[in-house]
Amino acid sequence: MSALIAKPAGGPGWVIGAAAVLALGVLPFVANPYLITFAFTVLVAYILGQSWDWVAGEMGYVNLGHYCFYGIGAYAFAIALVGDWPLVLSLGFALVITALAALVLSVPLFRLHGDYFAFATLALLPLMEVLAYNLTPITRGADGIVLPVKQVLQPAYLLALGTCVITFIVTLLINHARFGYALKSIRNDEQVAETVGVKIAPVKRRVLVLSAVFGAAAGALQAWQMSYIDPATVFGLNVALVPIAMVLFAGSGLRFGPLVGVLVLASMQQWLLVSVKGYQATLYGLTILLIGRFMPGGFLRARWVRSVPGLAALSREHHEYVGESAAREQAHKVELPLPKLQVDAAKPLIELQGVRMQFGGNVAVNDVSLKIRQGEIVGLIGPNGSGKTTLFNCISRVFPPTAGKVLFAGQDLAHLGRDGIARLGVGRTYQIPRPFSDLTVQENIAIPLMFAERPLSPRDAMREARAFVDYAELSHRLHERADALSVQEKKALEFARALACRPRLLLIDEVASGLTPAEVNRFVAHIRHVRDRYGITVIWVEHIFSALEQVVDRVIALEQGSLIADGPLATVVKDERVLRTYLGSAALSPPSPVSVPAFVQGVT
Amino acid sequence: MDILLQVLIGGVLLGGLYALVAFGLSLIYGVVRIVNFAHGTLLAVSGVLASLAFASWGLHPLLIAALLAPLMFGFAYGYYHLLLKPLATRSHFEATVGTVLVTVGTLMMLSDVTAKLAGATQRNIPLRLEALEFGEIVVSTTQLLILAGIVALTVVMHLMLKHTWFGRAIRAVTQDATGAQICGVQSVRMKALTFAFGSATVAVAAVLYVLSFPVDPTMGFGLTVKAFTIIVVGGVGNLPGALLAGVFLGVAEGLTGLYWKPEWAPALSVIVMLVILVVWPKGVGVKT
Repeated sequence: MSALIAKPAGGPGWVIGAAAVLALGVLPFVANPYLITFAFTVLVAYILGQSWDWVAGEMGYVNLGHYCFYGIGAYAFAIALVGDWPLVLSLGFALVITALAALVLSVPLFRLHGDYFAFATLALLPLMEVLAYNLTPITRGADGIVLPVKQVLQPAYLLALGTCVITFIVTLLINHARFGYALKSIRNDEQVAETVGVKIAPVKRRVLVLSAVFGAAAGALQAWQMSYIDPATVFGLNVALVPIAMVLFAGSGLRFGPLVGVLVLASMQQWLLVSVKGYQATLYGLTILLIGRFMPGGFLRARWVRSVPGLAALSREHHEYVGESAAREQAHKVELPLPKLQVDAAKPLIELQGVRMQFGGNVAVNDVSLKIRQGEIVGLIGPNGSGKTTLFNCISRVFPPTAGKVLFAGQDLAHLGRDGIARLGVGRTYQIPRPFSDLTVQENIAIPLMFAERPLSPRDAMREARAFVDYAELSHRLHERADALSVQEKKALEFARALACRPRLLLIDEVASGLTPAEVNRFVAHIRHVRDRYGITVIWVEHIFSALEQVVDRVIALEQGSLIADGPLATVVKDERVLRTYLGSAALSPPSPVSVPAFVQGVT
Repeated sequence: MDILLQVLIGGVLLGGLYALVAFGLSLIYGVVRIVNFAHGTLLAVSGVLASLAFASWGLHPLLIAALLAPLMFGFAYGYYHLLLKPLATRSHFEATVGTVLVTVGTLMMLSDVTAKLAGATQRNIPLRLEALEFGEIVVSTTQLLILAGIVALTVVMHLMLKHTWFGRAIRAVTQDATGAQICGVQSVRMKALTFAFGSATVAVAAVLYVLSFPVDPTMGFGLTVKAFTIIVVGGVGNLPGALLAGVFLGVAEGLTGLYWKPEWAPALSVIVMLVILVVWPKGVGVKT
């Protein structure tokens, strides 16, 4: 995998980039109007495509109605300019109006996910078109708006070029900022992003507004250059998806994807316009269809591109690399950058009072009350479906409990979101590992550090993540993408990521199942170590009693959502109700020699 | 009062047709798990083809429907295998955007080609039938015919879903694709068949549509939006729900035109959809 992720190129890229911008800057003074207009179209398409990709490629939300912002910007600009506003003011007006529109739209849109989000955003286009046709006092309806005709090609071009440069720089900045990591974590798994401390709602809102503002700039510039707009040209379905197709064609989410895609496809489009009469919409449609069918991931991601030296630089993903991969470290020698918590064993860290979780008629957790003291390691057992994971979900607020209270260090968690609970000091792992798949091991662990109570800058977080990677014995996989790891490695990664939340309470969900005895022992050692050294309280859901036995202070048993036993493991496994739950009532009846199943043998 | 009644009747018919289109899309969404953005465009295409067949060969509308439905079935079956099925193996993001691009590309191509076929005017089938009079109320026979068609199609689809192997398989895959597969339902074949079946429904609906309402090649996407709104309101795979939501939308559009301005009617479905999605982000009723 690491071969596929190109290392940062350094100097020459900047020189080439600066030279290209300079050459483009000179173009309007030497080239003919046809060429300038063509270059202008490409620049506008890049602004549109790249700003779309902040929402789609970075955050994973396919906003098919991005063109709405282009249209709103174009209309606002045209209306202001016709009303004799100065140019700069008109431009500012367009950006502000569009930003407001995006802000309002973000409320309904971000209640949706996946297909529904894509569809709702696409449906905005016909809505906007109807509005533009029918709000005649403002938009002049089907007549369109004619702008005062002036020679604006050169200044419009230069403005577009400037905006393009800004767009590219913003892309780079996003990818080096905490904001960018928030986007990437949302792209991978929204819920997990929240449970490691990312506050996702404002992030989603901001990125939509940001992308809308750049879309509006593109629209305003295009309106200025064309000096005429009407509803079909700025909200038409057949124009609206072209910039999106361009980005996908080369590779969404890649640093140079939007740029390359726009260059190639816009040139082709221009050629088609000149050389083919009639059936142009068919040809657009065919192009879009073929791109969707054969390269929705982008041709820059194809293997042959990555093997060509010059092109490989273009297929760069946005990843940060801090430090070199090292050999496996000895875990117990690693000092984690965690505070050493004062443990007062008399005080409860977490207290559940009558917690109940009901899904329709199904009661998954039934009035569970329990206290866990600071520094305790508690095993949570119970057959499949007994509500163990749901109990975890109630604590980390993946679901808000139907009834009851969860107190953490005396504080009621009812008013906190998932991210707030994470920042308060609750880290968790998932039964089926849920790492941020397309990020590296180091980035996975750096994200909670960036969004902690005392947030670190991405660079510092990446540096600090090293210790956690070493602790999880993943040093040799530092720069690998998480989806390239084995199941055991993913579990180790999740454990390390939970620790990077700087937890006071660690919720571990079946970390040992499917591991070899040696691997289980390593986890047991880790769990004991983080409690002994850093004072972290642990609740551990597990079926492997021999693993629990080595480390837990006591266990809690659940059956069908109810708490049925609480005490030392050796006592609980002899409890009548627990035995009945696990083995059935037949196992209890005779005093004759009962063959004790293997999994209890280690304990009794 | 007379005008209101006419608007209501028109609204109910239009809504019933919307519901048929929506139900095809809904079956497809439930089984194949894709939104076919070109779904409504299939109605525009079929409608134009039907009106051309009527104009040039004078075929009876029923015969046209009988010819168009298998044609659309075959087209959609091949389309699914050639263009959509291969995307299923890609990553989630790629499959989503890939499907969007393929179906939107199709939409653009179909609209453009149909526009060339249809010419610049809206088209319909000007079937001349005697009007029926019930005392004061005059009902057009064409409208009755359409109503009968809608009812017949709905009943047939309902029976098919409840009582045939194909219908049960559709419901099973909609509820739990993996579970159905484990029980021996061949999911790829089911997906292709459902895609084709849903599209063929549209062809029949199209013939009914052109009997009373004009079609034009660019109306397709607006119709898809309406169909999606109906699914969101009525629930995925829910036939009675779709019918109710469709009639509600059709009547609401008619009333918008009557009491306000007809040009605002197309905005209605989008607004209804957005409002519904905001209030019930997971859809109103999911049932099969």
